[in-house]
Amino acid sequence: MTQKRHIKFILISLLILLGLSSCTLSTTKDLVETNITKTIFTNPYFSDTTKDYVYKANIEVYGKHLGGLMIIKKTANKHHRVVFATEFGSKILDMELINDTFKINFVLDELNKKIILNTLKKDFKILLQENHSIEKTYSNDGAIVYQSQVDKRTNFFFVNDCSRELKKIVNTSKTKEKVVVTFDTIEKSLAKEVSINHKNIKLKIELRHL
Amino acid sequence: MNKILYILLLLVGSLTAQETKMSSAEITSFKSKVKTTASKTKTIANDFTQYKHMDFLSEDIKTSGKMLFKSPNLVKWAYTSPFQYSVIFKEDKLLINDEGKKSDVKIGSSKLFKKLNQLIVNSISGDMFNEAEFIMTFIKTEKYYQVQFVSKDKNLKKYIKQFVLSFDKKKYSVIEVKMVEPSDDYTKIVFKNRKENQPIKDEVFNN
Repeated sequence: MTQKRHIKFILISLLILLGLSSCTLSTTKDLVETNITKTIFTNPYFSDTTKDYVYKANIEVYGKHLGGLMIIKKTANKHHRVVFATEFGSKILDMELINDTFKINFVLDELNKKIILNTLKKDFKILLQENHSIEKTYSNDGAIVYQSQVDKRTNFFFVNDCSRELKKIVNTSKTKEKVVVTFDTIEKSLAKEVSINHKNIKLKIELRHL
Repeated sequence: MNKILYILLLLVGSLTAQETKMSSAEITSFKSKVKTTASKTKTIANDFTQYKHMDFLSEDIKTSGKMLFKSPNLVKWAYTSPFQYSVIFKEDKLLINDEGKKSDVKIGSSKLFKKLNQLIVNSISGDMFNEAEFIMTFIKTEKYYQVQFVSKDKNLKKYIKQFVLSFDKKKYSVIEVKMVEPSDDYTKIVFKNRKENQPIKDEVFNN
């Protein structure tokens, strides 16, 4: 009888533990909070107005593959232009991020859906916004992590301890990771490989610098 | 300084003066010569360089590759630099190979590709001077003939303001294609190393 109660207790404890862990954000699980050393974090990529950032794009969306060219240009302070075009050069989407708001210059009818455009807007905001006020700083093996609040979401910027390169941005709600952006093959503030990976929908955007 | 300006102005003046509209007799003759050339052309293998111009960019985006044509309507565009990407226009489908990832797209859902392909194919078959579909302007310069096509199709016009085809003055073959968007950004494709009527196997047009 006592053994049965014992097992029941263990089971309930496990359930509570599981329940609890699914409610806490996994991003900060292995992180140790440290003192804040700076108040603003600056994303160095896509920040040079003299450069054209041209990428071959591969988009996987719910099992479908879509290829094209992703062209990003900082045209002025707090002003980016983003164009997604076919390999032939026909524009699919042409938009501008000015301060906090997007302006759509052109979108192909097939893509002109609120849910698609809103998702892309959010993604490019994470990717392109340069300055973020830091609320918390963490560290773990080999990385410094800056936490910044944007509207209802939180961005975590993972910076390599040695190279000082921004390697990853994790965009989260209070309890779940939503979008993970990774930067690889970095050369002088140019990320040659960028991946935007959605956790709640089957959407992955991979960019390779040309 | 004034002298230089004067010479520059003269140069610009003479350059623009070189572009003149063809007379109706010249247009008739030009059309028939293009048709004759086209009817003799069974296959074409071309290198091409594509320039994507967007006003906000510092430089045009340059890509290049090969274009293969086999009469009556097989076309393959293969980009080889700076990435590997090919599109085969076959029957009612686009066969795409994006760096090894193969897919089919029903051509009905890619009107732009269809129209562009139609123009390329038609310029070879000689059957592109379709007055029901386009408003056409015929121009001659010292170096080439040029036809500007403005579509009468409202839907196409939303995407492409005009197509411009340039022709070799001796061979009456297409040497350049330009697609101008409503924003005046454009894609320019320049052909070179044209080889005609060399055998091209049908398998080349499989994905």
